[in-house]
Amino acid sequence: MTRPRIMLGALVLALPAAVSAIALHARAQRAKRDEAQPAIAAVARRLPSSDLALSGGARWLRMPSLEEPGAAFADGPALPDPDPAGGVMSPPRDAWTHETRLGPARAR
Amino acid sequence: MTDERPARPSAAPATKRSAGSGLLGYALGALGRRRSKAIALGGGLALVVALVGAVLFLTDALRADADRARAAVPDVVVQRLVGGRPALLGDGDAARIAGIDGVRTMRPRVWGYLFLPALQGNVTIVGSDPSLSDLRPALSDGRDAAPGAHEMIVGVTLARALGLVVGDELQLPPLSATPSPPLKLVGTFATDVDLYTADVILCGDDDARLVLGLPAGAITDLALTVANPAETRIVARTVLERLPGTRVIERDLLGRVYALAYGRRAGLVLAASIPALLALLILAWDRASGLGAEEKREIAVLKAVGWSTSDILWSKIFEALLVGGAATALGLVAAYVWVFPLGAPGLRPALVGFSVLYPEAPLTPMVDVTQLVALALAVVAPFVGLSIVPAWRAATLDPVEAMRG
Repeated sequence: MTRPRIMLGALVLALPAAVSAIALHARAQRAKRDEAQPAIAAVARRLPSSDLALSGGARWLRMPSLEEPGAAFADGPALPDPDPAGGVMSPPRDAWTHETRLGPARAR
Repeated sequence: MTDERPARPSAAPATKRSAGSGLLGYALGALGRRRSKAIALGGGLALVVALVGAVLFLTDALRADADRARAAVPDVVVQRLVGGRPALLGDGDAARIAGIDGVRTMRPRVWGYLFLPALQGNVTIVGSDPSLSDLRPALSDGRDAAPGAHEMIVGVTLARALGLVVGDELQLPPLSATPSPPLKLVGTFATDVDLYTADVILCGDDDARLVLGLPAGAITDLALTVANPAETRIVARTVLERLPGTRVIERDLLGRVYALAYGRRAGLVLAASIPALLALLILAWDRASGLGAEEKREIAVLKAVGWSTSDILWSKIFEALLVGGAATALGLVAAYVWVFPLGAPGLRPALVGFSVLYPEAPLTPMVDVTQLVALALAVVAPFVGLSIVPAWRAATLDPVEAMRG
Protein backbone atom coordinates (compact mmCIF):
# COMPACT_ATOMS: atom_id res chain seq x y z
CA MET A 1 0.00 0.00 0.00
CA THR A 2 1.40 3.40 -0.98
CA ARG A 3 2.00 6.19 1.50
CA PRO A 4 -0.75 8.46 0.12
CA ARG A 5 -3.24 5.59 0.38
CA ILE A 6 -2.24 4.95 4.00
CA MET A 7 -2.56 8.67 4.73
CA LEU A 8 -5.95 8.77 3.05
CA GLY A 9 -7.13 5.73 5.00
CA ALA A 10 -5.93 7.26 8.27
CA LEU A 11 -7.75 10.55 7.62
CA VAL A 12 -10.97 8.83 6.55
CA LEU A 13 -10.94 6.47 9.53
CA ALA A 14 -9.76 9.04 12.12
CA LEU A 15 -13.23 10.12 13.22
CA PRO A 16 -14.89 6.67 13.44
CA ALA A 17 -11.80 5.35 15.21
CA ALA A 18 -11.76 8.23 17.71
CA VAL A 19 -15.48 7.90 18.43
CA SER A 20 -15.21 4.12 18.91
CA ALA A 21 -12.11 4.33 21.10
CA ILE A 22 -13.60 7.01 23.36
CA ALA A 23 -16.94 5.20 23.66
CA LEU A 24 -15.26 1.90 24.53
CA HIS A 25 -12.92 3.46 27.07
CA ALA A 26 -15.78 5.39 28.66
CA ARG A 27 -17.87 2.22 28.91
CA ALA A 28 -15.03 0.37 30.63
CA GLN A 29 -14.59 3.26 33.08
CA ARG A 30 -18.32 3.28 33.86
CA ALA A 31 -18.28 -0.45 34.52
CA LYS A 32 -15.36 0.07 36.89
CA ARG A 33 -17.21 2.89 38.64
CA ASP A 34 -20.32 0.72 39.02
CA GLU A 35 -18.27 -1.63 41.20
CA ALA A 36 -17.93 1.21 43.70
CA GLN A 37 -21.71 1.71 43.90
CA PRO A 38 -22.15 -0.19 47.23
CA ALA A 39 -19.47 1.99 48.82
CA ILE A 40 -21.06 5.16 47.45
CA ALA A 41 -24.49 4.12 48.74
CA ALA A 42 -23.07 3.31 52.19
CA VAL A 43 -21.40 6.72 52.45
CA ALA A 44 -24.36 8.65 51.04
CA ARG A 45 -26.63 7.29 53.80
CA ARG A 46 -24.35 8.91 56.39
CA LEU A 47 -23.89 12.27 54.68
CA PRO A 48 -26.28 15.24 54.75
CA SER A 49 -26.76 15.07 50.97
CA SER A 50 -25.26 13.57 47.83
CA ASP A 51 -23.58 16.85 46.87
CA LEU A 52 -20.02 16.49 45.65
CA ALA A 53 -17.16 17.81 47.78
CA LEU A 54 -16.15 20.37 45.20
CA SER A 55 -16.42 23.89 46.48
CA GLY A 56 -16.68 24.34 50.20
CA GLY A 57 -15.09 27.76 49.71
CA ALA A 58 -15.92 31.10 51.17
CA ARG A 59 -19.69 30.77 51.41
CA TRP A 60 -19.54 27.69 53.61
CA LEU A 61 -21.89 25.96 51.22
CA ARG A 62 -20.72 22.43 50.88
CA MET A 63 -24.27 21.15 50.42
CA PRO A 64 -25.82 23.55 47.92
CA SER A 65 -28.83 21.33 47.28
CA LEU A 66 -29.86 21.81 50.92
CA GLU A 67 -28.63 25.34 51.42
CA GLU A 68 -28.77 27.39 48.24
CA PRO A 69 -32.28 28.80 48.58
CA GLY A 70 -31.39 30.40 51.89
CA ALA A 71 -27.73 31.06 51.31
CA ALA A 72 -26.10 34.35 51.99
CA PHE A 73 -24.83 36.14 48.88
CA ALA A 74 -26.35 33.71 46.39
CA ASP A 75 -27.41 35.53 43.24
CA GLY A 76 -29.87 32.77 42.42
CA PRO A 77 -30.49 29.09 42.94
CA ALA A 78 -27.46 27.05 41.95
CA LEU A 79 -25.61 30.03 40.52
CA PRO A 80 -21.84 29.80 40.73
CA ASP A 81 -20.19 31.65 43.57
CA PRO A 82 -18.99 34.96 42.24
CA ASP A 83 -16.08 35.31 44.59
CA PRO A 84 -13.98 33.40 45.25
CA ALA A 85 -15.56 29.99 44.66
CA GLY A 86 -16.56 29.40 41.09
CA GLY A 87 -13.98 31.76 39.74
CA VAL A 88 -11.12 30.69 37.57
CA MET A 89 -8.67 32.08 40.09
CA SER A 90 -8.69 31.54 43.83
CA PRO A 91 -8.13 34.51 46.15
CA PRO A 92 -4.55 35.20 47.19
CA ARG A 93 -3.32 33.13 50.13
CA ASP A 94 -2.23 36.36 51.85
CA ALA A 95 -5.92 37.05 52.47
CA TRP A 96 -5.83 34.48 55.27
CA THR A 97 -2.52 35.47 56.83
CA HIS A 98 -4.26 37.23 59.69
CA GLU A 99 -6.65 34.30 60.20
CA THR A 100 -3.74 31.89 60.46
CA ARG A 101 -2.04 34.06 63.05
CA LEU A 102 -5.16 34.07 65.23
CA GLY A 103 -5.60 30.30 65.13
CA PRO A 104 -3.27 27.55 66.27
CA ALA A 105 -0.22 26.92 64.13
CA ARG A 106 -1.58 23.49 63.22
CA ALA A 107 -5.02 22.08 63.87
CA ARG A 108 -3.51 18.91 65.12
CA MET B 1 1.44 20.54 -10.56
CA THR B 2 -0.86 17.58 -10.19
CA ASP B 3 1.29 14.63 -9.20
CA GLU B 4 -1.70 12.68 -7.91
CA ARG B 5 -3.69 12.70 -11.11
CA PRO B 6 -7.16 11.36 -10.27
CA ALA B 7 -8.98 8.71 -12.20
CA ARG B 8 -11.10 10.46 -14.77
CA PRO B 9 -14.48 10.99 -13.13
CA SER B 10 -17.27 9.50 -15.14
CA ALA B 11 -21.01 9.24 -14.88
CA ALA B 12 -20.97 5.55 -15.79
CA PRO B 13 -22.19 3.38 -12.85
CA ALA B 14 -19.34 0.86 -13.17
CA THR B 15 -16.69 3.51 -12.67
CA LYS B 16 -18.48 5.59 -10.01
CA ARG B 17 -16.52 4.05 -7.15
CA SER B 18 -13.13 4.52 -8.77
CA ALA B 19 -14.05 8.08 -9.70
CA GLY B 20 -15.04 8.74 -6.07
CA SER B 21 -11.83 7.33 -4.67
CA GLY B 22 -9.90 9.23 -7.34
CA LEU B 23 -11.49 12.47 -6.23
CA LEU B 24 -10.76 11.57 -2.59
CA GLY B 25 -7.15 10.91 -3.52
CA TYR B 26 -6.95 14.19 -5.39
CA ALA B 27 -8.44 16.00 -2.37
CA LEU B 28 -5.74 14.48 -0.16
CA GLY B 29 -3.05 15.57 -2.63
CA ALA B 30 -4.48 19.08 -2.70
CA LEU B 31 -4.41 19.22 1.11
CA GLY B 32 -0.79 18.11 1.03
CA ARG B 33 0.12 20.87 -1.43
CA ARG B 34 -1.53 23.47 0.82
CA ARG B 35 -0.43 21.93 4.08
CA SER B 36 -0.12 25.14 6.11
CA LYS B 37 -3.67 26.20 5.24
CA ALA B 38 -5.03 22.76 6.09
CA ILE B 39 -3.18 22.72 9.42
CA ALA B 40 -4.40 26.23 10.31
CA LEU B 41 -8.01 25.31 9.55
CA GLY B 42 -7.87 21.88 11.16
CA GLY B 43 -6.01 23.14 14.21
CA GLY B 44 -8.54 25.92 14.84
CA LEU B 45 -11.42 23.51 14.46
CA ALA B 46 -9.78 20.94 16.73
CA LEU B 47 -9.32 23.61 19.42
CA VAL B 48 -13.00 24.57 19.26
CA VAL B 49 -14.09 20.91 19.45
CA ALA B 50 -11.71 20.26 22.36
CA LEU B 51 -13.04 23.21 24.38
CA VAL B 52 -16.74 22.52 23.77
CA GLY B 53 -16.27 18.76 24.16
CA ALA B 54 -14.34 19.12 27.41
CA VAL B 55 -17.02 21.34 28.97
CA LEU B 56 -19.75 18.85 27.98
CA PHE B 57 -17.77 15.79 29.12
CA LEU B 58 -16.92 17.39 32.47
CA THR B 59 -20.47 18.60 33.13
CA ASP B 60 -21.97 15.20 32.35
CA ALA B 61 -19.44 13.43 34.57
CA LEU B 62 -20.11 15.74 37.54
CA ARG B 63 -23.88 15.50 37.21
CA ALA B 64 -23.73 11.70 36.94
CA ASP B 65 -21.56 11.37 40.03
CA ALA B 66 -23.92 13.56 42.05
CA ASP B 67 -26.86 11.50 40.79
CA ARG B 68 -25.08 8.24 41.62
CA ALA B 69 -25.49 8.89 45.34
CA ARG B 70 -28.95 10.44 45.14
CA ALA B 71 -30.81 7.15 45.63
CA ALA B 72 -29.38 6.79 49.15
CA VAL B 73 -30.44 10.28 50.23
CA PRO B 74 -33.50 10.61 52.55
CA ASP B 75 -36.86 11.16 50.87
CA VAL B 76 -37.50 14.37 52.80
CA VAL B 77 -35.21 16.75 54.71
CA VAL B 78 -36.71 19.26 57.15
CA GLN B 79 -34.83 22.43 58.06
CA ARG B 80 -35.82 25.46 60.12
CA LEU B 81 -35.52 28.96 58.76
CA VAL B 82 -35.45 31.98 61.05
CA GLY B 83 -35.36 35.37 59.39
CA GLY B 84 -34.62 33.64 56.11
CA ARG B 85 -31.51 31.96 57.48
CA PRO B 86 -31.06 28.29 58.42
CA ALA B 87 -31.53 27.74 62.16
CA LEU B 88 -31.37 24.80 64.53
CA LEU B 89 -34.19 22.40 65.32
CA GLY B 90 -34.77 20.85 68.73
CA ASP B 91 -36.04 17.59 70.21
CA GLY B 92 -39.52 19.14 70.48
CA ASP B 93 -39.65 19.69 66.72
CA ALA B 94 -38.72 16.08 66.08
CA ALA B 95 -41.45 14.91 68.42
CA ARG B 96 -44.10 17.00 66.58
CA ILE B 97 -43.53 15.26 63.27
CA ALA B 98 -42.67 11.82 64.62
CA GLY B 99 -46.20 10.51 64.32
CA ILE B 100 -46.99 11.53 60.73
CA ASP B 101 -48.62 8.70 58.80
CA GLY B 102 -46.45 7.32 56.04
CA VAL B 103 -43.14 8.29 57.65
CA ARG B 104 -41.11 5.11 58.01
CA THR B 105 -38.05 6.52 59.79
CA MET B 106 -37.01 9.90 61.13
CA ARG B 107 -33.43 10.72 62.00
CA PRO B 108 -32.23 13.92 63.62
CA ARG B 109 -28.94 14.93 61.98
CA VAL B 110 -26.10 17.05 63.25
CA TRP B 111 -23.68 18.54 60.75
CA GLY B 112 -21.97 21.79 59.92
CA TYR B 113 -18.77 23.44 58.84
CA LEU B 114 -15.56 24.24 60.64
CA PHE B 115 -12.78 26.51 59.40
CA LEU B 116 -9.37 24.97 59.90
CA PRO B 117 -6.71 27.70 59.91
CA ALA B 118 -4.05 25.04 59.35
CA LEU B 119 -5.67 24.24 55.99
CA GLN B 120 -7.06 27.69 55.32
CA GLY B 121 -10.26 25.98 54.33
CA ASN B 122 -13.50 24.53 55.64
CA VAL B 123 -14.14 20.95 56.60
CA THR B 124 -17.58 19.37 56.96
CA ILE B 125 -18.31 17.84 60.35
CA VAL B 126 -21.00 15.17 60.16
CA GLY B 127 -22.55 13.38 63.12
CA SER B 128 -23.10 9.77 62.21
CA ASP B 129 -24.97 6.72 63.41
CA PRO B 130 -23.21 3.39 62.65
CA SER B 131 -26.57 1.61 62.42
CA LEU B 132 -27.41 3.54 59.23
CA SER B 133 -25.08 1.64 56.92
CA ASP B 134 -22.13 -0.71 56.89
CA LEU B 135 -19.22 1.54 55.97
CA ARG B 136 -16.68 -1.24 55.38
CA PRO B 137 -16.92 -1.16 51.55
CA ALA B 138 -16.26 2.59 51.67
CA LEU B 139 -13.16 2.49 53.89
CA SER B 140 -9.64 2.11 52.58
CA ASP B 141 -8.17 1.77 56.01
CA GLY B 142 -9.39 1.06 59.55
CA ARG B 143 -12.98 0.62 60.78
CA ASP B 144 -16.21 2.48 61.52
CA ALA B 145 -16.30 4.91 64.45
CA ALA B 146 -17.88 3.54 67.64
CA PRO B 147 -20.60 5.71 69.23
CA GLY B 148 -19.49 7.75 72.25
CA ALA B 149 -15.82 6.74 71.88
CA HIS B 150 -14.59 10.11 70.50
CA GLU B 151 -13.59 8.47 67.24
CA MET B 152 -13.74 9.75 63.68
CA ILE B 153 -13.40 8.74 60.05
CA VAL B 154 -12.07 11.28 57.54
CA GLY B 155 -11.80 11.58 53.78
CA VAL B 156 -8.52 10.49 52.25
CA THR B 157 -7.82 13.98 50.87
CA LEU B 158 -8.32 15.59 54.28
CA ALA B 159 -6.23 12.91 56.02
CA ARG B 160 -3.36 13.58 53.63
CA ALA B 161 -3.72 17.35 53.96
CA LEU B 162 -3.49 17.08 57.77
CA GLY B 163 -0.87 14.33 57.70
CA LEU B 164 -3.11 11.96 59.67
CA VAL B 165 -2.88 8.18 59.77
CA VAL B 166 -5.17 5.71 61.54
CA GLY B 167 -4.49 5.86 65.29
CA ASP B 168 -3.67 9.59 65.36
CA GLU B 169 -5.70 12.03 67.47
CA LEU B 170 -6.91 15.40 66.25
CA GLN B 171 -7.83 18.33 68.48
CA LEU B 172 -10.09 20.56 66.42
CA PRO B 173 -10.17 24.31 67.11
CA PRO B 174 -13.07 25.14 69.49
CA LEU B 175 -16.12 27.05 68.27
CA SER B 176 -17.51 27.59 71.77
CA ALA B 177 -16.33 27.96 75.35
CA THR B 178 -16.56 24.20 75.85
CA PRO B 179 -13.58 22.56 74.17
CA SER B 180 -14.26 19.49 72.09
CA PRO B 181 -12.49 16.25 72.99
CA PRO B 182 -9.60 15.07 70.81
CA LEU B 183 -10.95 12.70 68.15
CA LYS B 184 -9.10 9.50 67.34
CA LEU B 185 -8.83 8.58 63.67
CA VAL B 186 -10.06 5.01 63.27
CA GLY B 187 -10.63 4.90 59.52
CA THR B 188 -10.19 6.74 56.22
CA PHE B 189 -12.59 6.69 53.31
CA ALA B 190 -11.54 5.01 50.07
CA THR B 191 -10.55 7.04 47.02
CA ASP B 192 -13.65 5.68 45.25
CA VAL B 193 -15.86 7.84 47.47
CA ASP B 194 -13.51 10.82 47.70
CA LEU B 195 -15.81 12.91 45.51
CA TYR B 196 -18.27 12.86 48.43
CA THR B 197 -15.93 12.69 51.41
CA ALA B 198 -12.82 14.72 50.54
CA ASP B 199 -13.53 17.31 53.26
CA VAL B 200 -15.64 15.20 55.64
CA ILE B 201 -15.00 14.36 59.28
CA LEU B 202 -17.51 11.71 60.38
CA CYS B 203 -17.91 11.32 64.15
CA GLY B 204 -20.58 10.71 66.78
CA ASP B 205 -23.51 13.15 67.10
CA ASP B 206 -22.38 14.40 70.53
CA ASP B 207 -18.82 14.94 69.33
CA ALA B 208 -20.15 16.78 66.28
CA ARG B 209 -22.18 19.10 68.56
CA LEU B 210 -19.15 19.85 70.70
CA VAL B 211 -16.91 20.50 67.70
CA LEU B 212 -19.52 22.71 66.03
CA GLY B 213 -20.38 24.54 69.24
CA LEU B 214 -24.04 23.46 69.19
CA PRO B 215 -26.05 23.16 72.44
CA ALA B 216 -26.95 19.68 73.70
CA GLY B 217 -29.96 18.27 71.87
CA ALA B 218 -29.66 20.71 68.95
CA ILE B 219 -30.41 19.29 65.51
CA THR B 220 -29.24 20.66 62.16
CA ASP B 221 -32.04 19.01 60.21
CA LEU B 222 -34.37 16.01 60.21
CA ALA B 223 -34.11 13.25 57.62
CA LEU B 224 -37.32 11.36 56.88
CA THR B 225 -37.82 8.23 54.82
CA VAL B 226 -41.31 7.68 53.50
CA ALA B 227 -42.93 4.24 53.25
CA ASN B 228 -44.55 5.01 49.91
CA PRO B 229 -42.55 7.40 47.70
CA ALA B 230 -45.77 8.50 46.00
CA GLU B 231 -46.84 10.04 49.34
CA THR B 232 -43.74 12.20 49.71
CA ARG B 233 -45.59 15.36 48.69
CA ILE B 234 -48.37 14.68 51.24
CA VAL B 235 -45.83 14.02 54.00
CA ALA B 236 -44.01 17.25 53.11
CA ARG B 237 -47.27 19.20 53.33
CA THR B 238 -48.10 17.66 56.71
CA VAL B 239 -44.64 18.55 58.04
CA LEU B 240 -45.19 22.17 57.00
CA GLU B 241 -48.57 22.21 58.77
CA ARG B 242 -47.08 20.85 62.01
CA LEU B 243 -43.88 22.88 61.87
CA PRO B 244 -44.66 26.23 60.23
CA GLY B 245 -41.55 28.13 59.20
CA THR B 246 -39.59 25.07 58.22
CA ARG B 247 -38.21 24.32 54.79
CA VAL B 248 -38.94 20.89 53.39
CA ILE B 249 -36.65 19.53 50.68
CA GLU B 250 -37.74 16.49 48.70
CA ARG B 251 -35.23 14.10 47.16
CA ASP B 252 -36.83 14.31 43.74
CA LEU B 253 -35.86 17.98 43.57
CA LEU B 254 -32.18 17.18 43.99
CA GLY B 255 -31.89 15.84 40.44
CA ARG B 256 -33.24 19.12 39.12
CA VAL B 257 -30.84 21.08 41.33
CA TYR B 258 -27.86 19.14 39.94
CA ALA B 259 -29.05 19.56 36.36
CA LEU B 260 -29.48 23.29 36.99
CA ALA B 261 -26.22 23.77 38.84
CA TYR B 262 -23.91 22.00 36.42
CA GLY B 263 -25.89 22.86 33.29
CA ARG B 264 -25.84 26.54 34.14
CA ARG B 265 -22.15 26.50 34.95
CA ALA B 266 -21.38 24.76 31.66
CA GLY B 267 -23.54 27.30 29.86
CA LEU B 268 -21.69 30.19 31.49
CA VAL B 269 -18.29 28.78 30.57
CA LEU B 270 -19.40 28.17 26.98
CA ALA B 271 -21.00 31.63 26.80
CA ALA B 272 -17.76 33.19 28.02
CA SER B 273 -15.94 31.31 25.25
CA ILE B 274 -18.27 32.48 22.46
CA PRO B 275 -16.20 35.52 21.38
CA ALA B 276 -13.09 33.36 21.10
CA LEU B 277 -14.99 30.64 19.23
CA LEU B 278 -16.52 33.17 16.84
CA ALA B 279 -13.14 34.76 16.17
CA LEU B 280 -11.73 31.35 15.38
CA LEU B 281 -14.61 30.47 13.06
CA ILE B 282 -14.36 33.79 11.22
CA LEU B 283 -10.65 33.18 10.74
CA ALA B 284 -11.37 29.67 9.48
CA TRP B 285 -14.02 30.96 7.09
CA ASP B 286 -11.62 33.59 5.79
CA ARG B 287 -8.94 30.97 5.20
CA ALA B 288 -11.38 28.53 3.61
CA SER B 289 -13.06 31.00 1.29
CA GLY B 290 -9.95 32.64 -0.13
CA LEU B 291 -8.66 31.06 -3.35
CA GLY B 292 -4.97 31.61 -3.95
CA ALA B 293 -3.54 32.26 -7.40
CA GLU B 294 -1.93 28.84 -7.49
CA GLU B 295 -5.19 27.14 -6.53
CA LYS B 296 -7.06 29.06 -9.23
CA ARG B 297 -4.52 28.00 -11.83
CA GLU B 298 -4.77 24.40 -10.70
CA ILE B 299 -8.56 24.42 -11.08
CA ALA B 300 -8.24 26.03 -14.49
CA VAL B 301 -5.91 23.26 -15.65
CA LEU B 302 -8.29 20.59 -14.32
CA LYS B 303 -11.20 22.15 -16.20
CA ALA B 304 -9.09 22.49 -19.31
CA VAL B 305 -8.30 18.75 -19.24
CA GLY B 306 -11.96 17.87 -18.97
CA TRP B 307 -13.01 17.96 -15.31
CA SER B 308 -16.62 18.95 -14.84
CA THR B 309 -17.88 21.55 -12.36
CA SER B 310 -19.34 18.69 -10.32
CA ASP B 311 -15.97 16.91 -10.10
CA ILE B 312 -14.26 20.03 -8.79
CA LEU B 313 -17.11 20.74 -6.38
CA TRP B 314 -16.88 17.21 -4.99
CA SER B 315 -13.10 17.34 -4.66
CA LYS B 316 -13.42 20.55 -2.63
CA ILE B 317 -16.13 19.00 -0.44
CA PHE B 318 -13.92 15.94 0.11
CA GLU B 319 -11.12 18.30 1.20
CA ALA B 320 -13.46 19.85 3.77
CA LEU B 321 -14.62 16.40 4.92
CA LEU B 322 -11.06 15.17 5.39
CA VAL B 323 -9.99 18.28 7.31
CA GLY B 324 -13.24 18.47 9.33
CA GLY B 325 -13.28 14.76 10.18
CA ALA B 326 -9.63 14.61 11.22
CA ALA B 327 -9.85 17.86 13.21
CA THR B 328 -13.01 16.70 15.00
CA ALA B 329 -11.37 13.39 15.85
CA LEU B 330 -8.34 15.21 17.21
CA GLY B 331 -10.54 17.62 19.19
CA LEU B 332 -12.63 14.83 20.72
CA VAL B 333 -9.58 12.85 21.77
CA ALA B 334 -7.95 16.00 23.19
CA ALA B 335 -11.11 16.86 25.16
CA TYR B 336 -11.39 13.35 26.55
CA VAL B 337 -7.73 13.16 27.59
CA TRP B 338 -7.88 16.68 29.05
CA VAL B 339 -10.92 15.92 31.23
CA PHE B 340 -10.47 12.31 32.31
CA PRO B 341 -6.85 11.14 32.44
CA LEU B 342 -5.53 14.67 33.15
CA GLY B 343 -8.39 15.86 35.41
CA ALA B 344 -9.32 18.96 33.35
CA PRO B 345 -6.57 21.33 34.55
CA GLY B 346 -7.65 24.93 34.02
CA LEU B 347 -11.23 24.01 33.25
CA ARG B 348 -12.24 22.26 36.46
CA PRO B 349 -11.91 25.31 38.75
CA ALA B 350 -13.95 27.39 36.30
CA LEU B 351 -16.75 24.84 36.24
CA VAL B 352 -16.90 23.53 39.78
CA GLY B 353 -15.47 26.27 41.96
CA PHE B 354 -12.25 26.53 43.86
CA SER B 355 -11.63 24.60 47.03
CA VAL B 356 -8.66 23.95 49.26
CA LEU B 357 -9.58 20.28 49.59
CA TYR B 358 -10.16 19.05 46.07
CA PRO B 359 -11.22 15.43 45.77
CA GLU B 360 -8.52 13.19 44.37
CA ALA B 361 -10.85 10.74 42.67
CA PRO B 362 -10.84 10.83 38.88
CA LEU B 363 -14.13 11.56 37.17
CA THR B 364 -16.07 8.85 35.36
CA PRO B 365 -16.86 9.52 31.70
CA MET B 366 -20.56 9.32 30.85
CA VAL B 367 -20.18 9.98 27.14
CA ASP B 368 -21.51 7.34 24.73
CA VAL B 369 -21.51 6.73 20.98
CA THR B 370 -24.74 8.68 20.40
CA GLN B 371 -23.40 11.82 22.09
CA LEU B 372 -20.06 11.56 20.30
CA VAL B 373 -21.68 11.11 16.89
CA ALA B 374 -24.05 14.02 17.59
CA LEU B 375 -21.12 16.23 18.59
CA ALA B 376 -19.11 15.17 15.54
CA LEU B 377 -22.04 15.82 13.20
CA ALA B 378 -22.69 19.19 14.84
CA VAL B 379 -19.13 20.20 13.92
CA VAL B 380 -18.46 18.47 10.61
CA ALA B 381 -21.81 19.20 8.93
CA PRO B 382 -21.65 23.03 9.32
CA PHE B 383 -17.95 22.97 8.41
CA VAL B 384 -18.63 21.12 5.17
CA GLY B 385 -21.69 23.32 4.59
CA LEU B 386 -19.55 26.43 4.95
CA SER B 387 -17.06 25.04 2.45
CA ILE B 388 -19.68 24.67 -0.31
CA VAL B 389 -19.74 28.38 -1.25
CA PRO B 390 -15.97 28.65 -1.80
CA ALA B 391 -16.07 25.25 -3.50
CA TRP B 392 -18.75 26.46 -5.88
CA ARG B 393 -16.78 29.63 -6.59
CA ALA B 394 -13.77 27.47 -7.37
CA ALA B 395 -15.74 25.08 -9.53
CA THR B 396 -17.31 27.80 -11.69
CA LEU B 397 -14.05 29.60 -12.47
CA ASP B 398 -13.54 30.35 -16.13
CA PRO B 399 -10.37 28.35 -17.00
CA VAL B 400 -9.08 30.83 -19.56
CA GLU B 401 -9.46 33.78 -17.22
CA ALA B 402 -7.93 31.86 -14.33
CA MET B 403 -4.90 30.83 -16.35
CA ARG B 404 -4.37 34.40 -17.49
CA GLY B 405 -4.29 35.34 -13.80
